[in-house]
Amino acid sequence: MSSKPLTHSDKSLTIPARFDQLRRAGAFVSDMAAAAGFEGLQLNRIELAVDEACSNIIQHAYAHRPDGKIHIRVQAERGRRIVITLIDTGEPFDPEAVPVHNPEASLDDLKVGGLGLFLIRQTMDDVQFEFNVPGLGWGQPKRFNRLTMIKYL
Amino acid sequence: MISSLNVTSQRVEGQSTAVLKLAGRLDATTVGQLERALTDAQLSGNRVIVIDLSDLTYVSSSGLRVLLTGRSNTRKRGGEVFLCSLRPPVREVFEMVGFTAVFTIFDTLEQAMEAAAAVSRG
Repeated sequence: MSSKPLTHSDKSLTIPARFDQLRRAGAFVSDMAAAAGFEGLQLNRIELAVDEACSNIIQHAYAHRPDGKIHIRVQAERGRRIVITLIDTGEPFDPEAVPVHNPEASLDDLKVGGLGLFLIRQTMDDVQFEFNVPGLGWGQPKRFNRLTMIKYL
Repeated sequence: MISSLNVTSQRVEGQSTAVLKLAGRLDATTVGQLERALTDAQLSGNRVIVIDLSDLTYVSSSGLRVLLTGRSNTRKRGGEVFLCSLRPPVREVFEMVGFTAVFTIFDTLEQAMEAAAAVSRG
């Protein structure tokens, strides 16, 4: 069989849920995205989505709880796509309940989460929030929240 | 930790204008520096604040909110905030959220300074 091998990579990083870890998270994902073939503005969009998603988890899911952790998994398929999964065990929140940022509307009263969520949806191709997902045991948390973001090349 | 944002502030002689130059990354960890510089520039009685973004490589929603608040506070005092020299990654984020229609943005610092001088004279 002679076909060009698809190169997959699958790596994870767990960070404390603190703002000083945002750049570490962004760099971790960016490096894998660059290896998968993303470049320039695309890389910036991916880093921004991870930054905004982690910021929301730090501020809202954990409300700056010092022991909170964010688990980041990146599955990169070179030349095709990157799948970024963020897992936290903080408070679930309903993204539908966050006012949607409207670029046409008055910007005098921007909602914190609204702008971040808006940017996540603008920069990624597919965004899925899941809350209170039951764990499978074996040392996993009983319930967790999962955000899956996909970007295609 | 070495800060990844550098904010320098300059007062224009003979005008009530301050120029803030941002270099690096404007995100949740660095917005405090910009907030302080904006407050200082406002408290010093500057009518116009020109923010030079030519060396800003990254902005997140935290940075956008501080810029927006700085603009509203300055306008409440009858002043203006002008931005200039946005790099492509920063400009793209501004476009996504509709900020290009909200802020007065100039391509170059020279153009922003001319506009600031006109406001200062008026």
